[in-house]
Amino acid sequence: MRKKTFAAAALLAAATLTLSACGSGEDSAQPVTVVSEEAGSDKAAIVLDKPFEKPDLVLTDTNGKKYDLRKETEGRPTLIYFGYTNCPDVCPLTMNNVAVAKKQLSKAQQDELRVVFVTTDPERDTASALGKWLKGIDPQVVGLTGDFDTIQAGARTLGITIEPPHKDKNGKVVSTHGTQVVAFSPKTDAGYVLYTEDATVDDYTKDLPKLIKGEKP
Amino acid sequence: MRRLVAPVAVLTGTLFLAGCGSGDTRADSQAGSGAEVSVSGAYMPQPVSDSMAAGFLTVTNKGGTKDELTSVTSDVGEVTAHETVGSSMQEVKDLDVPAHGQLVFKSGGSHLMFEKLKRKPQQGEKVTVQLHFAESGTVTVEMPVKSATYNPKTGH
Repeated sequence: MRKKTFAAAALLAAATLTLSACGSGEDSAQPVTVVSEEAGSDKAAIVLDKPFEKPDLVLTDTNGKKYDLRKETEGRPTLIYFGYTNCPDVCPLTMNNVAVAKKQLSKAQQDELRVVFVTTDPERDTASALGKWLKGIDPQVVGLTGDFDTIQAGARTLGITIEPPHKDKNGKVVSTHGTQVVAFSPKTDAGYVLYTEDATVDDYTKDLPKLIKGEKP
Repeated sequence: MRRLVAPVAVLTGTLFLAGCGSGDTRADSQAGSGAEVSVSGAYMPQPVSDSMAAGFLTVTNKGGTKDELTSVTSDVGEVTAHETVGSSMQEVKDLDVPAHGQLVFKSGGSHLMFEKLKRKPQQGEKVTVQLHFAESGTVTVEMPVKSATYNPKTGH
């Protein structure tokens, strides 16, 4: 087991790690991982010394029903990602990486795990648009939409900065997605592991069984 | 004398390249070491829906003159190029392919964005894409559709 020293500096780093729209920095080889460098180690997962509290988000799910994140995911291993469906590259890749890894778990483990996708573009990502998109990835994923300010505030508590969608000079909507997936422990309900954009199917496949038990990857 | 710049490509994998200088090759191309572009590593991750897809590839210019990617077209839908500028993604019209350099579209960085797709590309298919260059004319690329989680570093 590896443990990475990761405290205030990392939080700061996480806070600055946001990305607009569909790309990351010019060379995405080593974005977040610089703060947790350890030769030869699994750079995709960052175990936090000071875990995040689960955001107090009450939003709308893909059935149009009220969804209280803390209540619904209490005591459950939970992965949270902030993104939007009109995102060709990183958002579907991240969600598919998680979904493909999840399918390799037992049925019981899959049912135990909560994967939550919170939209950063609630105006376009209505409950039904979100539901349709997520069905193409994994129908078990919980899709949440609602008031942008509420979503932004929730993301901020996880060190994820998102900006309101705006139109560029060509009239196209530019949205922001988070850069990391946050894993919450079923034991403490705290967000204790971050996965960067570099996390692959293999990384999630290796780690999910541990995350489901609240263990450190 | 009119000169057709023929992009004789070094091809990798399943990449197929057709088309050289198009009919509108410039008459005023500079003589000497012109641009010499080739395309490699093209792929499209299978998209979630038929509304949007991304494509990735690398353009290499072995010539001594820079070239410019001016537009991209495909029979599958509308294509635009996007690059990350600062913290936002922007559509770009003309992208430089420096002399002895590369123009790289890769996941997490710049990408080709396909919209208004006529169909949802499925893994195993190929999508035909035309890259239009200022100097080298049109290069046609058969872009294979890979799995939604395809990682070019590992090849699966």
